[in-house]
Amino acid sequence: MSEQFSRRDFLKLAGVGAATTAILTGCGPASRYVKREPYQQMPEYNSVGQSTYYATTCRECAAGCGLVVRTYQGRALKVEGNASHPLNLGKTCARGQATLQGLYNPNRIQGPIKHVRGDRLYDSFSNPFLDDINNAPANMTWDEAIQVVADALKNYKPNEIAFLMGMAPDHLFDLVTDLAKATGMNAPLRFGALSMFEARATLSKAVENLFGQPGLPFFDVGAAQTVFSFGANFLETWLSPVSYTRGFAGLREAETKMRGKFVQFETRMSSTGAKADHWVPLRPGTEGLVALAIGKLVSEMRGGAIPRAFSGVNPAEAAETAGVELVALENLAGMFATSNVLAIPGGAALGQSNGLEIAEAILALNALSDNFGQPGGVYLSPLAPDQTEYSRPASAEEMRTFVEKMAGGAIKVLFVHGVNPVFELPKSLGFEVALTSVEQVISFATFPDDTATGADYVFPDHHSFESWGYQRIATGTSQPVLSGAQPVVTPFFDTRSTADVLIAAAGLAGGKFASALPFADEVEFLQAKVGALLSQAGGSFDAPDAATFMAYFQQYGGWFRNADARITPDGSGVLNSNLSGSVAEFSGEGEFFLVPFVSPTLAEAGANKPWLQELPDPTTTVMWNTWIEINPETAHELGIENDDVVKVVSELGEVQAYAYLYPAIRPDAVAIPFGQGHKAYGRYAESRGANPADLLAAHFNKAGDLAFGGMKVKLEKVSSAERGVGLSRMESRMGVYGESMGEEH
Amino acid sequence: MIRPEEIKMSEEETGKWGMVINQDLCTGCQACVAACAMENNISFVGEVDSGYGRSMHWIRIERFWEGEYPEVKMTPQQPMLCQQCGHANCEPVCPAYATVHSQAEKLNLQVYNRCVGTRYCANNCPYQVRAFNWRDYKRPEPLPNQLNPDVTVRRMGVMEKCTFCIQRIHKAQDVAKSEGREVYDGEFTTACAQACPANAIVFGRVDHPESLVSQLARKGHGIKHLEELGTYPQITYFKEG
Amino acid sequence: MIKKFFDWLKQPLGLIAAGIVFLAVFSAFAYWLYTTQQAPAQPVPGFPHKTHVAFGIQCLYCHPGASKGPAAGIPSQSKCWGCHNQIVKTRDSALLAPLKDAVLNGESLVWVPVAIVPDFVQFNHRAHIAAGKNCEDCHGDVSQMGIYQNPQVFNMGWCLNCHVETAGEDQELLIKLSDCGTCHY
Repeated sequence: MSEQFSRRDFLKLAGVGAATTAILTGCGPASRYVKREPYQQMPEYNSVGQSTYYATTCRECAAGCGLVVRTYQGRALKVEGNASHPLNLGKTCARGQATLQGLYNPNRIQGPIKHVRGDRLYDSFSNPFLDDINNAPANMTWDEAIQVVADALKNYKPNEIAFLMGMAPDHLFDLVTDLAKATGMNAPLRFGALSMFEARATLSKAVENLFGQPGLPFFDVGAAQTVFSFGANFLETWLSPVSYTRGFAGLREAETKMRGKFVQFETRMSSTGAKADHWVPLRPGTEGLVALAIGKLVSEMRGGAIPRAFSGVNPAEAAETAGVELVALENLAGMFATSNVLAIPGGAALGQSNGLEIAEAILALNALSDNFGQPGGVYLSPLAPDQTEYSRPASAEEMRTFVEKMAGGAIKVLFVHGVNPVFELPKSLGFEVALTSVEQVISFATFPDDTATGADYVFPDHHSFESWGYQRIATGTSQPVLSGAQPVVTPFFDTRSTADVLIAAAGLAGGKFASALPFADEVEFLQAKVGALLSQAGGSFDAPDAATFMAYFQQYGGWFRNADARITPDGSGVLNSNLSGSVAEFSGEGEFFLVPFVSPTLAEAGANKPWLQELPDPTTTVMWNTWIEINPETAHELGIENDDVVKVVSELGEVQAYAYLYPAIRPDAVAIPFGQGHKAYGRYAESRGANPADLLAAHFNKAGDLAFGGMKVKLEKVSSAERGVGLSRMESRMGVYGESMGEEH
Repeated sequence: MIRPEEIKMSEEETGKWGMVINQDLCTGCQACVAACAMENNISFVGEVDSGYGRSMHWIRIERFWEGEYPEVKMTPQQPMLCQQCGHANCEPVCPAYATVHSQAEKLNLQVYNRCVGTRYCANNCPYQVRAFNWRDYKRPEPLPNQLNPDVTVRRMGVMEKCTFCIQRIHKAQDVAKSEGREVYDGEFTTACAQACPANAIVFGRVDHPESLVSQLARKGHGIKHLEELGTYPQITYFKEG
Repeated sequence: MIKKFFDWLKQPLGLIAAGIVFLAVFSAFAYWLYTTQQAPAQPVPGFPHKTHVAFGIQCLYCHPGASKGPAAGIPSQSKCWGCHNQIVKTRDSALLAPLKDAVLNGESLVWVPVAIVPDFVQFNHRAHIAAGKNCEDCHGDVSQMGIYQNPQVFNMGWCLNCHVETAGEDQELLIKLSDCGTCHY
């Protein structure tokens, strides 16, 4: 050993030692050994080292796109679209792609749980990247769970029992409907935040008023010459986004026809509006007025008598009210007069106190193009193969009636499946409070969501990729489609299909319940339902018997009738109908219009999937958080900068988030995305961002949809941006302004 | 016997695989971004790190603002991914030969086991499409069950980027070879192109003149980004119409 | 303080103490290194490949994935039991108790594959078999093995040597077989 063994030498030696250790460990085979668990019994159609693909139906929204899931050694690896499914033709959206992060989510409910209301269903966490989360363990067996459900069915009067369900899956809804019909239980109610923001009830009511027949309209965007969309975010979450995006591609296609034009009218530029050739900012609630004004201007340009529908409006006044130049409207009318225009009423326009009138006015514009039942025009969506009449999810007003029944004690047992009303319904409807008045709340949630936290029991259903089922395609394709779902992997946790639980519990409850569901299990129920299609001709496949039919149904991902079954609406009386350009009413004292919009990537249930959180918002490129959009000019006047913490205050509450200076929003409006702000729902969603539904008042339009666009709010600055704190944005990496990327880098 | 290093590579070599991206059809819906992340085992990095610009999207949708309210306009959404340059700026600067040009597939490769994390390549990439693993972004159990076994799971200190789904290229070639034929056009595609609901992304052989991607690339006024730098990018973009 | 310590170290007693510490650390390190090089425990101790080969069972009977795709695969226990159940001697053999227990209790046999390449290498059995390689070319003479052991280290030099030899004068094949992207992605 040397005389001078300096500290530096010591560190050097230590460094060399550490490096050697690192290298040697890296090389040792032991560090690379992994355990491999082969199948106990190789499933049918599987082969070692080969992927197996299963067709199923997406449940991330109610559209019901067909999927083909790649599985390998019993694990689901990748979601692809089902190319033979008429709705999506092999394509998917981002939410469909991320389904796997729900299936293998670290915060799924592991088994049946008896739960103290309000208790956490998983531990809070320190680091989202580590395995340090303890999920609430199952504390009962499934037999006990089924007994609990059976007791609930038996010990209460049928009219004290209610089911609240999501928009998917349809087979479970049918099962519960059958059960309710046979026993006198309350008919199950379906609800979803998407249907609320789409204003589906308004849409179908307007269709009924104009065409004398209810239904969900089908807008043939793909074959249109020009599209005038009034707040329809059909490229994001509206009705059937994958199918409408395909339609949009058809509109823009310029090989065989002229490239179609697209005009968007809205208060805040949505990511759909960003694709428009002309983006026309309107004051909220004036969309109907503008539609009527355009109708009148077009009629004047074309000459002849002004149709009764448009006669009552003064274009100059309408332009003034809507906050647009009359010249702009005249130019648009000129464009309208020389081409066939498809006018689409979207959720953002209909979520107003005068939403129904707006929907009628916009739909009536199509009469000027005479495009009812024509390619590029308006149809009514075909009913699903086993459907005889149109049905729609509950409107927000119907939900309020239901909540009042809950609060009044008329409902003593509440079953919740596939929906998260504590998060999805505006706070002002009081669902969370009313829930405490219900004697027994049983949740079938797969994830520990906000509503499950308030339940007495959580009996987790399988994830959609572990489930049987079917979904009726409500709109988006010309064919009647019953889309099939089958498990692509075996259940990962000790979950059980809700249909199986109900069938077993009904058997235990006996009497009317048992006779209402005379099935051994869910699959038998499905065979009975799906097998009824066997006798129908003209389908995508034929089968000699019910068993073969069911096998094909799973293999192809559903049964599709081959004919174009879109219904041509009777638009003969539209131009003579009595339309009013009524003015929207707003509630609240503030000087800003509130524009809540559904986050295109998260929507209502995507927040617990980390990769959906990390997808940049298409317009703002923000990830992992909520932002408040403010016009830069307004922000400048109020002294607000990007990433300042600001507060939006309505008469009902306030929402605090980072400011985003958004160049494409009216200066008199602020916009907040819906999708974040969960109080539970797993480590990726909880306590992240804010929920604009907290601001919304319980005001409805004539069709019963929530007037979510009818709020006036105050905007206050809370604190200035701090260095290093603020929104994560993709644009900070790629630039915000510029002609081409080269200049920005 | 010829040694691999004796093979001369010409800088202007034409590519083999390429893409046509129609920005007029792209709606910015992020389906490609999600599909890419699911196919290629890309880690999510969380809010803080993504705020530092460390998110590891191999493909991103760029959009810029033009003009001021109310004449404000968003430029056509621009999916930006590795352009698989024929003469790539990232390649000559790597001291570890970790980013090299594939002679066989004419792609820019990132060889993870060679990468020592100097990040020279990312700094030299004019398209800014390389992503660096700043940490070991662990996936909590049971999320790792969805990992694609055909793609390496990267660790801290390694650069990564779009591979044109080389695992799918190899698989298709393997299947074709086992059946004694060539890979036909459209037999497989990349994860982004397969997901795209608007069909804005088309992938295929650019060295086959009759392939769909070559036919599309030939028509009209497609541009290749930053072509003036002499990078020979393999992706043709169409802006409007 | 540190200087005092080093002064003490320079004493004969200090040198001996340092020597002992060094030896202790070195042997601990050597032992740990040794453990990293050991074959892992397998669920069926002493599984005899040679007996199976001696009965004339083809490799592909139990590892059929090799001819179809990347992974050769480990047989499912129902496949093992399918034969062993028929043979009186093995049905109740103490050596096969783990298999029998697993099958009867519906539990999994968890194997630890040893013929492995690192995570960053994408290996495909099918291509090698299609190119005329036999199992024993890489895996050695399994008919002489109990628990399988790699006959050589599967490292890149070994892979590449064979690739270059196989290509010979065929330049196109050489390009393909020596391309980084053929195995690393």
